[in-house]
Amino acid sequence: MIDSLCCRSRLRDKNAGVKSAFALITLVICIAARSFPVSAVVFVTNGVLTVWKGKIPASSYVRLLLVPAAFLLAGMAVIIVNISDVPMDAFAIPAGRWYLTGSRHAVLEALELGGAAMASVTCLYFLALNTSVTDILGVLRALHCPSLLTELMMLIYRFIFLLMETASALMTAQEARLGNRNLRTGLRSFGMMGTALFLRSLKRANALYDAMEARCYDGEIRVLARKQPAEAGDILLTVLFEAALTGVMIWSRIR
Amino acid sequence: MEQDKMKEDSVIRVENLSYTYEGNDRKALDGISLEIGRGRKVAFMGGNGSGKSTFFLCLNGLLRPREGRILIDGQPIRYTRKGLLEVRKKVGIVFQEPDNQLFSASVYQEISFGILNLGADEQTARREVEHVIAELGIAPFQDRPAHALSGGQKKQVAIADILVMHPEIIILDEPAAALDPEHTEIVHRIVDDLTGQGITVLMSTHDIDYALGWADEIVLMHEGKVLRKDAALSVCMDREALETAHLREPSVLRLFRNLTEKKILKEGRKPPKTMGQLESYLSGE
Repeated sequence: MIDSLCCRSRLRDKNAGVKSAFALITLVICIAARSFPVSAVVFVTNGVLTVWKGKIPASSYVRLLLVPAAFLLAGMAVIIVNISDVPMDAFAIPAGRWYLTGSRHAVLEALELGGAAMASVTCLYFLALNTSVTDILGVLRALHCPSLLTELMMLIYRFIFLLMETASALMTAQEARLGNRNLRTGLRSFGMMGTALFLRSLKRANALYDAMEARCYDGEIRVLARKQPAEAGDILLTVLFEAALTGVMIWSRIR
Repeated sequence: MEQDKMKEDSVIRVENLSYTYEGNDRKALDGISLEIGRGRKVAFMGGNGSGKSTFFLCLNGLLRPREGRILIDGQPIRYTRKGLLEVRKKVGIVFQEPDNQLFSASVYQEISFGILNLGADEQTARREVEHVIAELGIAPFQDRPAHALSGGQKKQVAIADILVMHPEIIILDEPAAALDPEHTEIVHRIVDDLTGQGITVLMSTHDIDYALGWADEIVLMHEGKVLRKDAALSVCMDREALETAHLREPSVLRLFRNLTEKKILKEGRKPPKTMGQLESYLSGE
């Protein structure tokens, strides 16, 4: 889903290096600051960039944000809620001899943490929704990430979709023959699908190797990425934004 | 006279080629000898398992024959690193299943792979890649990841993969397999452009009507042997050979035969290669 949204992003052709730098620096500041103002600025900025500039549908964006939000709420609850025989200052719900209770300090801390986490997530979503995997690999390559890793990632990204396609085709074929009638046949069908998938993958790997050999493959995958020149304006905006964000961080610290 | 000239300029020459797959008793290729002239359009036909694909893999040096030899441009294939590089530079092969050929999710990266392997510098490579993207009409979908392309679009990219390397010989293994009519048409048009540029094209196909209209020569293969190799028309008129190879007679020839037998067409006319030709006979009558 993220992948198909990313194809439609208007920010896709912006320089991947600038986008990655923006997302990562913002992420680091956001985590380091862990303050409301910083988180709020980051959250809003990324939302505006992704939905308004990138034209990612707001509904999809919100739905994606809800996924980590659910986990976060559970995590925050653990920080806030204590079970104690002494009621604390924020709230206290009597439960027999005990109280479900929390302190103001803990509530504040949990909210700050939650805010920082959500803002960090928007940084990663900004990168994921507006930059294709291919472009991110290009950045990794430019950063001299070992070619073994980038080549593997490239192949995995290409073939994970084929694997899923094949698996779903096999499953449909099994379903059509009542392969999932009950738990027993279901398990057996799943095992057989695994076997078939493995064999097909092996065959495909061999065929792919042959096809690459036929194009003079010599052990190193050399490819060219499409040029996305970094625009001075974008770099300037990124620098200004990060500087401003650092300013907000310092201000919220000394306040 | 013309025959002699062709002999001199045979771009591929195969002598007594045999190949057996590991763990298999039957020979996949059994003593194949043939010659292919430069710039010719040759269709390879025959049932599944008749040896077409194996033969193609041998021409590209991917399989090393047990017996016999292959000469490309008069030079026997040398099975060394350098020798194979030379062969693969000259002989490009477009595989039947594009999903087994495209390794990158990005169309641009995918196409740049071959030309970079030939040692082109970045500037040249970019120019070539962009040229072939424009030439094959890939531009409208070049920014989509490979898994979001249709079968026909993947095929176009697979051909671009090879074309960018400027081979002298292009082998297409069932290029129209599993394509809809629209994309079959696109692929056929690309193939016509190739021959227009003087590239030798070898193609395996099951579509005998297309083969008759397109090819200069047809090679009929059966059980690892060459059953017939001749001008397209004379192979297609050899009903006995076609039957052995489990092929049917092209519709246009069958219609022509019937029309001639029923005296609707005058006898002694040259058999047509395409429906269009037959129609012009009929309207001319």
